[in-house]
Amino acid sequence: MNNSVDKNKNQIDLPVVKSDSKPSVWRSLDEYDNTNSDNQLKVKANEFADGAENFDISSKSKFSRRKFMALMSASSAMAMAACTDYRDKGEIVPYIDKPEEVIPGIPNFYASTLISDGSGQGVLVKTREGRPILIEGNPQHPISKGKLDSNGIARLLDMYDPNRLQNPRKLQESKLVDTDWGTVDKEIIQSLNSASSSGKEIALFTGKIISPTFAKLIEDFKAKYPTTKVYSHELFNDNNKQEAWNKSTGGTTYPLIHLDKASIILSIDSDFLGTDGNVNENIRQFVVNRDFENPANFSRFYQVEGSYTLTGSNADYRLRLTPENYLDVIASLVNHFAAKQGKQTMSGFKSLEALAKENHWKHEAVSKLINDLESNRGKAIVIGGKQLSVDHHIAINYLNELIGANELYNKSESDYNVISLSNDKEISSLASRMKSGNVGVLINIDKNPTYHLPKLFSKENLSKVKTVVSLNEFENETTNNSNYVLGINHDIESWGDAKIRTGVISTQQPVIAPLYNTRQKEAILLNWINNVENYSEDVYHKYLQSNWETNIYPSLNRSVPFKEFWFATLHDGVTTFNETSIVPTEFDVSTVNSIKPTKKSNYSVILQENYFIRDGRYAGNGFLQESAHPITKVTWDNCAMVSPATSKELGVEIGDMLEVTLNGVAIELPTLIQPGMAEKVIAVDLGYGRTNSSPIGNGVGFDVTPFMSEKGISNWIYTGASVKSTGNKYELVSTQEHHALDDEFLRTQVRKDEKGNVIGGDETFARARGIIQESTVEGYLKNPRILKEHTHKVFSITKDFEYNNMKWAMSIDMNKCIGCNACSIACYVENNIPVVGKEEVGYGREMGWMRIDRYFAGTPDDPIMSNQPMLCQHCDNAPCENVCPVVATTHSQDGLNQMVYNRCVGTRYCANNCPYKVRRFNFYDFRDNLANGYYKTESTKIMMNPEVTIRARGVMEKCTFCVQRISEAKQKAKEEGRALKGSDVTTACQDACPANAIEFGNANDKDSRLAMMRDHNLGYHVLDYLNVKPNVTYLAKLRNSDSLGVKSEHH
Amino acid sequence: MKKSVLDYGLRVRLPITIMVILISYAITFYVSRSERDGVGYKPDQPINFSHKLHAGEMGIDCQYCHVGVEKSRHAVVPQASTCMNCHTMAKTDSPEIKKLTNYYESGEAIPWKRVHQVPEYAYFNHSAHVNAGIDCASCHGDIASMEKVEQVHAFNMANCLSCHRAPHEKMPYLADEIKKGPEDCSACHR
Repeated sequence: MNNSVDKNKNQIDLPVVKSDSKPSVWRSLDEYDNTNSDNQLKVKANEFADGAENFDISSKSKFSRRKFMALMSASSAMAMAACTDYRDKGEIVPYIDKPEEVIPGIPNFYASTLISDGSGQGVLVKTREGRPILIEGNPQHPISKGKLDSNGIARLLDMYDPNRLQNPRKLQESKLVDTDWGTVDKEIIQSLNSASSSGKEIALFTGKIISPTFAKLIEDFKAKYPTTKVYSHELFNDNNKQEAWNKSTGGTTYPLIHLDKASIILSIDSDFLGTDGNVNENIRQFVVNRDFENPANFSRFYQVEGSYTLTGSNADYRLRLTPENYLDVIASLVNHFAAKQGKQTMSGFKSLEALAKENHWKHEAVSKLINDLESNRGKAIVIGGKQLSVDHHIAINYLNELIGANELYNKSESDYNVISLSNDKEISSLASRMKSGNVGVLINIDKNPTYHLPKLFSKENLSKVKTVVSLNEFENETTNNSNYVLGINHDIESWGDAKIRTGVISTQQPVIAPLYNTRQKEAILLNWINNVENYSEDVYHKYLQSNWETNIYPSLNRSVPFKEFWFATLHDGVTTFNETSIVPTEFDVSTVNSIKPTKKSNYSVILQENYFIRDGRYAGNGFLQESAHPITKVTWDNCAMVSPATSKELGVEIGDMLEVTLNGVAIELPTLIQPGMAEKVIAVDLGYGRTNSSPIGNGVGFDVTPFMSEKGISNWIYTGASVKSTGNKYELVSTQEHHALDDEFLRTQVRKDEKGNVIGGDETFARARGIIQESTVEGYLKNPRILKEHTHKVFSITKDFEYNNMKWAMSIDMNKCIGCNACSIACYVENNIPVVGKEEVGYGREMGWMRIDRYFAGTPDDPIMSNQPMLCQHCDNAPCENVCPVVATTHSQDGLNQMVYNRCVGTRYCANNCPYKVRRFNFYDFRDNLANGYYKTESTKIMMNPEVTIRARGVMEKCTFCVQRISEAKQKAKEEGRALKGSDVTTACQDACPANAIEFGNANDKDSRLAMMRDHNLGYHVLDYLNVKPNVTYLAKLRNSDSLGVKSEHH
Repeated sequence: MKKSVLDYGLRVRLPITIMVILISYAITFYVSRSERDGVGYKPDQPINFSHKLHAGEMGIDCQYCHVGVEKSRHAVVPQASTCMNCHTMAKTDSPEIKKLTNYYESGEAIPWKRVHQVPEYAYFNHSAHVNAGIDCASCHGDIASMEKVEQVHAFNMANCLSCHRAPHEKMPYLADEIKKGPEDCSACHR
């Protein structure tokens, strides 16, 4: 076969050995079907995406080459005319009076808490010369334990976002104009007084309140303005779960679960590793029993779900099922156990066996599940997703009671609600009172009701309220309908406290003065209570301190005086104390009586929480928009996920618009064919389609909040939708096949016996090439060297370099990695990586140094999914180094593959020669390019990590193993006069990983955990037979199932 | 054959012109070397501070003012309040000290002119060098004898590497203690 170049397509046809059989591991349906169809998600097997050659300079930069030349000659002429001998080196401007704790060049860390999103995660804010440059988890916080979810990490960008509300605004002649705080305070206090004297309601519309001091402030507000009512609302909430627990047992909060003690986990559509509950804690506990060093005690995890979630992708048995049948699964399990124990059963439901047959589950799944639940009494638990209905949760509670799961309930601590969320009735009654003109003032506190509840808080309804005040960080759909829009402080500019768990209160302290003319939301309300002319910055600080002194401190029985206690608490960011929580009471069996099967009808719609932009709150955050969805790998969009069979039934391809009609509301959505979805189910992420966010978030994706009504199984699950193709097309952009390790080019040869029968071979090299290596727990227990049996000895014809001192290396435990993406977002923040935008991602130009590759195995209808974090492997024999014509990439004596930006001339030979496809090229100055230089404004400039070079256009970049942190550790060791240890350095991704899957250190230190993992039987290197000697070791995933469902298993 | 004007231009004038350009370029390049490296750069400072007086005659330790030098990447130019430790009392009527007092009291930062600078793509670390025992003067010259601070060594990669490769020759006073400096790219560039 010749290599030919088709000039029109600018694409090289590489020799491909075609075969008709199906590959065993595949990344997309096209790869599975081995088609060359030109759908948009298909990036050519060539390194570059279709259109990557599109390089329109004039459209991107206002600075043409000609202009540059003109400017250069002008400036050199100027320089000659000025005749200065020496180049001016600028100025050094020292402090007038330096704060004692600041030494320029050394970071300071401050403990605080993220409160505004209701998560209450304890954080450490890293600052340099007073500028926050990184937010990470607070290791002393008993719930966070040093970890932070991806939203929390990306929150840093929000603070520097130039689109923040920078001044108070007031509606004048139907336009919001900037004004001063004195004016708005005066006018709003007047409105509050007149509303309260005329008996009209003052409504405070807030999110989840987790701050005890804010709750007290609200009480004070009510005392001052007696007609005040508080509504707290979250688009995604666990109200149903809470209500079900209350009905079942009378308890106020459902219990926490000791996931780390569970041997068998059955999750009914709960995304507990992604969006459901305290995710970081769940991940931490979940991976305890996924320990490759203790394979005999591996947990087994079953997931029943209609959509495809991150949690489902980690299941040993993933049982896909439409939401209508969830109750059948629960009920038939209930019946099985209740019958044995002589307790009440549920009637009218389908049997598990019937469901298994209908949905083509693995044949052993059902018997195994029942067997597991039976034989692990006290160590098995059933978890229900928070989006399920009250009935589902009651049935699940009953099932848990039957299988003895209450031994896994945490009886010493529980979640703590400062103020319970309002239920749907309360919210809609507010809306009807607004309509009838009974609400005088509506204060929207850091929420966006017009977007989340478009029917209740429409422009029309809000116009019937005399004064609508919005306290927000950013403009949003609600601020458009407000009379006053007041900019509020970011979390790390604010004081506060948070209590989300019994026995734990964490504190929030500002680490930077407000960047703009904003105030913190509590201080604004406090000022309206106090009604003082002269606002002082520390008004809420004092209020917080006095509340702690009078209400919180006395109950803690501490021996130290208050001041000392207060400063110690602020320093740690958290204080813990003994607090008894309510132990769950007996289950009331009568509550299951009324549960009836869900009626089967047409298509089901699942509205799910997005892993990154959540309820739409973070739509303006570029880091989060650009993070690829862990399952679909789509960025900058939401889409209608449908199964391959359903898409065939509907006659749609990826990118075809579907019209989904639900209870009379029709919305057009782009199709994404997602292998592994349940049939006749459409899953869509909420939170997209914002219309008044920022240049980043506006018009990204489709708003499906109008679907939400009380007519569904719950607020998030609906049946009876009708779906049809509209014939329109939409461009979805996905990183699915970007930077593909080129496993499609080569297939193993078909092996035939004498008679011509195929006996083996003929599969993609993904497995044979060792990109994804997996085993079953059973197989590994029987033969620990199961993955080492087929390895071949590779040799080098040159002498290898000897690393005598340090040799930096990483290992990633695939048993722990759940694919959450926190690592890659932490990498963006730590290493000043630019966001490129949808169009550029479409060309395959995203810049992330660490990506999570996703592979499917098995059949498209019911595949298993494998994640793999992929970053520069710092190969000993790095192929990129040999081809650089200017020696811009070289190897260090401690094993780093170095990249010297100021030498790089941008030939891109290195990226071309990298087998792992981890090198990234700056096609543009992306910061300047995205949304009109959005990330190059004064405020975002100071967000950059000063220890990492900001790469210019035309320069190659890649993971450095956080060389700035290595240098810092070296310096510290030198200062302290000791030798550097591998454990002195942690990389940003390692710090961020909630599962502690990443280990980094010195490979030559044979006592280290890293060295143990490198030499472990499960440890493997991706593409190791190339003999490039990569230094990232992956520990093969063990699946606790009978088979992997992949053809080329090792026997 | 008659010579044309064009011939003359091509054979005589053009080579001469090119030679003149090349020679003058070479001479300028050679002569201006130190200027391009910044050697001899001696800017006027907003306050006429004398290192000769403070560090030389009075013998104040470098680290009394440059506090970051052992702990941080930056040596740190002292904050105005450090100066005021003494100058609230000492020589308060001198015009230069009046300037200082003025800056301090008005809260305005003093815009010292920068004398030494490594390019922004090189991450030089003071603490690593000072903690290895290297004398300030090895890079900065004999500051204690300078009335006005001046750059004496080139701050370029060749100069860095000359010490990293042969520290014993360059710094004989550290003959026994010092090891070779790293020559990996990532030691300075990241």
